[in-house]
Amino acid sequence: MYDILIRGGLVVDGSGAPGHLADVAVKDGRIAAVGANLPGEALQVIEAGGQVVAPGFIDPHTHFDVQLLWDGAARPALEHGITSIVPGNCSLSLAPLKAGDRAGLIGMFQQIEELPPEAFTQAFEWTWEDFAGYRAALEKSLSINVAPLVGHSVIRLWVMGADAQQRAARPDEIVAMQDLLRECLQAGAVGLSTSFVDVDEKARPVPSRFAQFDELDALCAVLGEFGRMLQIVPEFYDTDITIARIDQLAELSLKHGIPTTFSPVFDSHLTPQAAPRQLARVAEQFARGARVWPQMQTRPIDISFSLLRPSLFFARLPTWMRTLRLPLDERMAALKDPATADRLVTDAGPDGGARLMGDLIARGGDAIPPAFAGRTLGEIAAERGEVPARTLITLSVEHGLDVAFLAANRGHDRTDRIGPMLADPLVHIGASDGGAHIASFATYGDTGFLFSEYVRKAGVLTLEAAVKKITSDTAAIWGLKDRGSLTPGYAADIVVFDAATIGRGEERPVFDMPGDGMRYVRDSVGIDTVVVNGEVAWAKGEYSGSASGEICGIA
Amino acid sequence: MPLTPQRRFVTPEPDETVEHLAARALPGEALEGAVERIKGWNLHIFAMRRPRGLLLGSDVVFVEPPQA
Repeated sequence: MYDILIRGGLVVDGSGAPGHLADVAVKDGRIAAVGANLPGEALQVIEAGGQVVAPGFIDPHTHFDVQLLWDGAARPALEHGITSIVPGNCSLSLAPLKAGDRAGLIGMFQQIEELPPEAFTQAFEWTWEDFAGYRAALEKSLSINVAPLVGHSVIRLWVMGADAQQRAARPDEIVAMQDLLRECLQAGAVGLSTSFVDVDEKARPVPSRFAQFDELDALCAVLGEFGRMLQIVPEFYDTDITIARIDQLAELSLKHGIPTTFSPVFDSHLTPQAAPRQLARVAEQFARGARVWPQMQTRPIDISFSLLRPSLFFARLPTWMRTLRLPLDERMAALKDPATADRLVTDAGPDGGARLMGDLIARGGDAIPPAFAGRTLGEIAAERGEVPARTLITLSVEHGLDVAFLAANRGHDRTDRIGPMLADPLVHIGASDGGAHIASFATYGDTGFLFSEYVRKAGVLTLEAAVKKITSDTAAIWGLKDRGSLTPGYAADIVVFDAATIGRGEERPVFDMPGDGMRYVRDSVGIDTVVVNGEVAWAKGEYSGSASGEICGIA
Repeated sequence: MPLTPQRRFVTPEPDETVEHLAARALPGEALEGAVERIKGWNLHIFAMRRPRGLLLGSDVVFVEPPQA
């Protein structure tokens, strides 16, 4: 008696081989058999005629570290067919962390993830300090599988305290970091993440950026003991620096025998040679035997925001960011203050924000008057006889700040250029940033967009190749044991979907974060059923409440 | 297979000043000129960063101009 029998679907098994009609049987959390007209009964039969049956998708770049503590499904990632996620990217994880350092880490997480403060104070009980304790807290109610990275910044904080954000480490401190990293890897961390760009809520570089290369090298020696991953976020805005980082990663990969990955790689309007140059360097380094996996996202860069909360949109406008971080009443008062408003307008650029803000689109759905919805800020500003930055302030103040704007297609939106790059065997599809930047854009649905845009519309990837990219390829790159393939004996992580309709829903705001915090999400489209470790976790629009997720093992 | 030449760079030593780094990276050049060249080739540190010129241990510091 099987637990689940998925009958009559087009089995696309993750290998890249052509799909074939078959049944998939599941028993005790594992794939039990794959074949045509499998004999035997099952406790649950899923009719998959006309649909694709594939391994669950794996998202290698997320920031669900906090959300997982109250939402073990990482909603809505799971309903998009994602069955395994990698949190802990960009040098930040929730462990190891001493209780006294929590406030500092919360500031960093808020800067990157845009989570409301209540997410850290009301949504879970912070009981752990070490990585094993965090793992135990996670494992209480996971619906999705988790392959957690440990962050370089928190390792520094543990060993060096406040000095982690001030100076290089001494040799004895580097040894202590090595010991701590080893302990985390033994407790289930799949690798180490570090960052060369991130800042905290006070715009100070995060601790990992104060590390000398020899510190990173020493930590990679420990990764080498386990053969595990180093993830970095490089200075992606500068191609020469990113190539320098690729070369550093290659040296570490070759020296310590480890896989490395960097993200993101964007196809930029302003620097169209950036991504091709980076990928060319990656190819040269792979030819030497190094493993340096570039992560590329599928979705275009869209940023939505209102002045109700800080947004990534203002990352390079510190005066704006400081103003938006004020409590709401103080922020409103500041925006109404003529001197402050003048300063903000000045800081938006000598053209009054025309270049940066003129093409912002006033979004519907919030307090935007119908007459403005869908029009550009530049058009509205011209009507009012103002520069765009001034109109952004005045229009927002007039409507209680509850006016949303969309910065659409700010790059990475040329399907004809991006498609061949995604199809490159050396390009790792990822960088969704799931669970981060939640008030700026929806980080969900990238896998659906892969199929709708690059398989169906552009035809640059076959269905089978696209599935392989986000299942077995990802599992192999990260060394995830027994995942990413519909092979008997492998974990029964399965997604059933309609190849003709799989995609992503429209981006929409929801208020489901702790403290009624807002985030943008996208619903799944074309997904029928998601199975995690042999249990249905989501089907036909409903979460089952399953708790079959687990911490991924490493091969 | 040899790697295609890319922009050469160094990383700062602990507590290193830009003057020390410039002298190390561009030996034989007058210090004042070397510092100006290092600053000009590394706007990500000396123009875009707040506070301007803060050298971090992890920085990539280019020691030659962008390639044509």
